[in-house]
Amino acid sequence: MIHHSTAPSFEFNDIGLADDQYAVRIRNLSHHFGTGDLKTQVLYDINLDLKRGQIVILTGPSGSGKTTLISLIGALRSAQSGSLKVLGKELVGLNKAQLVEVRRNIGFIFQAHNLFDSLTASQNVEMAVELLEDWGEKRAKAAEILAKVGLASRVHYKPKALSGGQKQRVAIARALVNEPALILADEPTAALDKKSGREVVTLMQKLAKEQGRTILIVTHDNSILDVADRIINLVDGRLESDQSLETFVNTHDPKSLDRRMFIM
Amino acid sequence: MRTPIAWLNLVHEKTRLVVAIAGVAFAVILVFMNLGFLGSLAKTAALIYNQINADIFLVSPQALEITTTKAFPIERIYQAAGVPGVERTMPLYVGYLQWRNPITRQSRAMFVYGINPNDPVFVMPELRSPENQAALRRWDTVLIDRLSRPEFGPQDIGTVTEAGRRNVTIGGQYSMGGGFASDGTLIMSDQNFRRYLAPIPLNLINLGLIKLEPGADPQQVKAELQRILPKDVLVFTRQEIIERDRDYWISATSIGFMFTMGVIVSLVVGVVIVYQILYTDIASHMKQYATLKAMGYNKRFLFALILQEAIILAVLGYIPGFIIAVGLYELTTRATAGGLPIGMEVSRAVLVLVLTILMCSISGLISVQKAVTADPADVF
Repeated sequence: MIHHSTAPSFEFNDIGLADDQYAVRIRNLSHHFGTGDLKTQVLYDINLDLKRGQIVILTGPSGSGKTTLISLIGALRSAQSGSLKVLGKELVGLNKAQLVEVRRNIGFIFQAHNLFDSLTASQNVEMAVELLEDWGEKRAKAAEILAKVGLASRVHYKPKALSGGQKQRVAIARALVNEPALILADEPTAALDKKSGREVVTLMQKLAKEQGRTILIVTHDNSILDVADRIINLVDGRLESDQSLETFVNTHDPKSLDRRMFIM
Repeated sequence: MRTPIAWLNLVHEKTRLVVAIAGVAFAVILVFMNLGFLGSLAKTAALIYNQINADIFLVSPQALEITTTKAFPIERIYQAAGVPGVERTMPLYVGYLQWRNPITRQSRAMFVYGINPNDPVFVMPELRSPENQAALRRWDTVLIDRLSRPEFGPQDIGTVTEAGRRNVTIGGQYSMGGGFASDGTLIMSDQNFRRYLAPIPLNLINLGLIKLEPGADPQQVKAELQRILPKDVLVFTRQEIIERDRDYWISATSIGFMFTMGVIVSLVVGVVIVYQILYTDIASHMKQYATLKAMGYNKRFLFALILQEAIILAVLGYIPGFIIAVGLYELTTRATAGGLPIGMEVSRAVLVLVLTILMCSISGLISVQKAVTADPADVF
């Protein structure tokens, strides 16, 4: 375990890799909420590189800053200090309109599916295709991706007629349809039962491997840790560890691992 | 084609949509009724003057509208008779008379036109029937307007009652309508008029009616009349005096103000109703809007989305509102026995549609504040 104050950086010295081989490069990123007396620091001097094609799981206790970090990477918040490069673009200092542009290249999967009840599965997915103003092929694209997530027979169903797992798969289809190079998922299995959760994650893994996508998943669910190439642990706003799955499991006593997962 | 998400969102919540449409329709109906009454003011003015068989009118500068005039010397129409292009001049006496309902014995003010029985003052053909002509020439006999309010009592020919402390006999009937200023009208001969509304001398008249020869130019005759007549009379063509009366009712009385206020209040009510509906709709879709923003949709898209919803509500609410308003116009016309000429006009239909869209857009603009604040960072 690395001590907090050393502010560990990972793959930092891997000079052999060019910039565009990283989906995300973070240097000395700190973040504060509030102003004046209420100002609280939530992220401390984060250094992190995510290689293209990796599936990375970000874990850590509640309040550790996971969500803040992923929302900064997703250009959902303005980054304040340090350097944050996403898909080769520096996000620190961008205005809101520029952040919107960055977001169009990122696929988001949320804890809740956030589908429009009034739209069919296909229309919900088409909303993403419409961002590219690709009017002609949007229906075909939606149908194709829905087939890939196993919903070929549910294309014209509204969310009410779909199960929880199916809805989340529609949300995944929506996130993937534009073939984003980076996919950010926040607790994608939290609203699902174990079996559907497993299916959803396996599906994400399959699509990522097929299409070479980088996926960053924030999760408390240790039953899905096995899909990850890397597991990053964030504690109190600092990167605490970064290891491969094997190391993570080996270095954590299964009992304490379980306990830690449940209190989060 | 873009997914019509505004439309789909609205029709997805059937109950909310019906309530919203009812709210908009309600405001639309109120606006139509107020504008209808306002419009009938204008029509009423035209209605009376269009029944008068004259092309140019002389009135005192102190006259406000046809029932509020100031008498001027009859010599003015004699002077006017000499102007080239004038075919005939006629005096018209007007005033109010207390008319007693012979059954309830209640008295009400009746508006009276006094005419020379030999003059074709009105265009209604029924006035030229031998029976009516004979009745006009009898002492203490009057013709009564069928469109007078029922409170004046029976209108049967031969009915005897009391007017201005004298006995009076109904000698005939005609149809004209009293408009806003009067609930009922009478026509009587100038001789009777002088007796009922004593002490009015017949050499002071309220309106000077001038009929032009066929082909004469009203503007030219008017200019000549203005040149030769003293300043104690104003000269108007028919269209001008109609507009003058209308302007009086709309801008100088509380009636015009009242209905304009009615329109404004109705629109405000509409804005509030539509705002409530849109706000509820936005509040229940905040997560979805935040997701759209996370996906890369900008504020302008959400702005347009809410505005579209507002305009769809405007149009959907306008349609039933329009249909019901037409029905209510018909009902009003019947309830006032045609005395209040209220009807749908294309210009008004368009105006109200524009006002409705404006009303809903204002609600949209107020409620959109919430939608654009949807923070994509909140969905994580």
